[in-house]
Amino acid sequence: MNQHPAMWGHPMTPHQAFNAHTAFPLATPNPMRNQHASSPVSHTQQPLVTGTSVLGLKYKDGVMLAADNLASYGSLARFRDIQRLHPLGNHTCLAVSGDMSDYQYLKKELDGLLREEEALSLSDSHPALHPSQIYAFLANLFYARRSKVNPIWNAILVGGWDATKEESFLGYVDLLGTTYSSPTLATGFGSHIAQPLLREAFEKKAGIDGKGELLTAEEAEALLNECMKVLFYRDARSLNKYQIATVTKEGVQISESKSAETQWGFAEALRGYGAQQQ
Amino acid sequence: MDALASSLSAPPRLTRDLNEDGDDAGSSAEWGSQGGFGNLHSGFVGGMTVPRTPDPAAFLNLHTDSMSSNPQAKIKLAHGTTTLAFRFKGGIIVAVDSRATAGSYIASGTVKKVIEINPYLLGTMAGGAADCQYWETYLGMQCRLHELRNKERISVAAASKILSNIVYQYKGMGLSMGTMICGWDKTGPALFYVDSEGQRLKGDLFSVGSGSTFAYGVLDQGYKFDLTDEEAQDLGRRSICAAGHRDAFSGNTINLYHVKEHGWDFIGNYDLSETWYEYTQKEKGDKMTRVEAPSPMAVEA
Amino acid sequence: MAMHAERSAALHELTSAPIQHAFNPYEDNGGTILAIAGKDFSVIAGDTRQSQGYSIQTRYARKVWQLTDRAVLATNGFAADGNNFVKKVKQRLEWYEHAHHKQMPLKSIARMIQTILYGKRFFPYYVYNILGGIEEDGTGAVYSYDPVGTYERESCRAAGAAQSILQPFLDNQIYFKNQTPEPGAEPFIPGNLPLSTVLALVVDSFTSATERHIEVGDGLEVYVVMKKGRPTDDLVGEGKLAPGMAVEELDALGEGDGEKTFLVTRSLKRD
Repeated sequence: MNQHPAMWGHPMTPHQAFNAHTAFPLATPNPMRNQHASSPVSHTQQPLVTGTSVLGLKYKDGVMLAADNLASYGSLARFRDIQRLHPLGNHTCLAVSGDMSDYQYLKKELDGLLREEEALSLSDSHPALHPSQIYAFLANLFYARRSKVNPIWNAILVGGWDATKEESFLGYVDLLGTTYSSPTLATGFGSHIAQPLLREAFEKKAGIDGKGELLTAEEAEALLNECMKVLFYRDARSLNKYQIATVTKEGVQISESKSAETQWGFAEALRGYGAQQQ
Repeated sequence: MDALASSLSAPPRLTRDLNEDGDDAGSSAEWGSQGGFGNLHSGFVGGMTVPRTPDPAAFLNLHTDSMSSNPQAKIKLAHGTTTLAFRFKGGIIVAVDSRATAGSYIASGTVKKVIEINPYLLGTMAGGAADCQYWETYLGMQCRLHELRNKERISVAAASKILSNIVYQYKGMGLSMGTMICGWDKTGPALFYVDSEGQRLKGDLFSVGSGSTFAYGVLDQGYKFDLTDEEAQDLGRRSICAAGHRDAFSGNTINLYHVKEHGWDFIGNYDLSETWYEYTQKEKGDKMTRVEAPSPMAVEA
Repeated sequence: MAMHAERSAALHELTSAPIQHAFNPYEDNGGTILAIAGKDFSVIAGDTRQSQGYSIQTRYARKVWQLTDRAVLATNGFAADGNNFVKKVKQRLEWYEHAHHKQMPLKSIARMIQTILYGKRFFPYYVYNILGGIEEDGTGAVYSYDPVGTYERESCRAAGAAQSILQPFLDNQIYFKNQTPEPGAEPFIPGNLPLSTVLALVVDSFTSATERHIEVGDGLEVYVVMKKGRPTDDLVGEGKLAPGMAVEELDALGEGDGEKTFLVTRSLKRD
């Protein structure tokens, strides 16, 4: 054992590591250490089948979300018809990027939870969950799981319409439990490529304080189409087949899959993009 | 069919995941007057969250900058110190600096590194600031309980052993403290060194921390058991001053305490730079008089 | 056996040394916080930018929280830890109010925050906290913490991304460090600055940090807590604040017969 003051508090190297069974002095078991000594827990800690970035935008009548239909397996475009927009109740919708199996798990469990809520609302004057409540639940869940060092490997946008406050809702939550809200949101690669475009278009009309008039449904959809196209040009894990969800006081509506008109002529002239080498 | 029924009726599994600590956090110990100090009656101190990884200590070491050995880590814990305490005929002198560093940044220059456990006991802070502050506060609670149970004050030996036993339970998990427990009990002035490795030593003179070697240099050349109160206090102050001057991780101000039979006295807080200036000026003055003194004699001769 | 022998070197490297991709439960979300204690008031401030690396996640995320009528807490570091830590503190404060029919005093909140932080000594909250408010004796107070609960009462403290820019400035302006009074002038007495001066120092601190630190900017929120019965005319009223600043008095959380809390807001540069 090294008694030099500079060594205090340093975990011992593996060959001299602490042995709970020989060194623990008390008759009562140490609940903290035994938990780890007896059954080391390890989790699969990387995503396998993944969905790329998703976008969200507040507009005049509510919120719009966009996600493409691809679930990649590494660099392989493995599943090309996956829906990554998921409605929850009448006034909330998720757009999910990240691990698709964790997404499926979430879908199943959240649907179960909402089914219970719905049952309550039938027999009682139990109000439906607000988007902000679903968002708070997800934030707690994600933070609890990251705190167990067993994260749910997703970045999610929650879009919704709060029927009580008569206002739209848009929030982000990810595998670390990090949360934030903003009138425009994007996950992953989209936060670098699409978020600046979204912010520019949003602020151009609504002003930097967002207090001016918001984009119309047509403008918002055109903006998302443009962003999905730009993403498809540069995001190698994206697909030119995507859906848009609109959440208004009327409810959640998820569009059919669609594609953007693309123009690849520019690629000819780009070194490293087109056919020519070096 | 059963599976379908249970999936429809059972509460969803993920609600179990919601507790962030994964165990019985939010217990009644967090309520009311126990104020989060856990179960005072049981030997083991509960309520500590441990990361659910195969090697919790390695996890902590990866993410925290322990003793500036892991500078790229984001979580910087305050470190770096000079502390000393010594026993003499007039009691115990405790002297410390007041600097806390996180990497090369001086996080604070006003740290109280002498922890007033109760009116009769002092503890010093070296190593992890939080470890010392928290467990010595906790020790204060245990000492009060001892008084209530036994109708007399706890001995310094017993108090230091409570602390030593607590930190030994966490050995190898990343605690970092080097402390001196100082007090006056039935046996007279008593001084114990306790550290997070589980070591506990009785002694007359200790210095702990990155500047301890500098402090020992001054301390050892001036130490006698028969020092007067003034001499002893000055020795303590001078030792910390020397350490603060030479050790980059120590400095700012000196806090000086004197433990006497009636309990401890706070002697004062001294700016280290000014103190160093005073000592060097005084030495220069001494030299001047020594050089000048013989000259009139020479004239006479 | 033959199959193993024929394995290519490249494949062997792939399988024998898998890339260790351990999950990192922490993140740094930038931003900066600051608090200054006056004689009968306390000022607690923070910017509103939340970032991750070079990306701004949002231009408005709260970092400063009103806890009671006499306590305000600023958090900085990992935003998820910060939010959940504040949630826990607020829950404990509510339990206290139920049990004792009064709000928890500032010094008790200060100690409670230590115990909560230290409870996660082995899996720390990556959060730097600064607690500001009014003590039971009516004095303005600031408590600062490290991530595992060391705490200390001070007159002023900056923490977060721009700590190393702001703290030396505060040392100079609040503690008068490295300043000498003019010959014959009054000596400096720390801790006696008027609110208007303190507020100006806070604003200058944040505008300067915004200029020189990429993680600071967007918006500024300054909470001012005042002692019971202190006049408020140096903060509220026409022309008391610089252009572009707004002030509102916050509703009392408890009985509402004592200390007052104000929120002063201002925008910061967004680039």
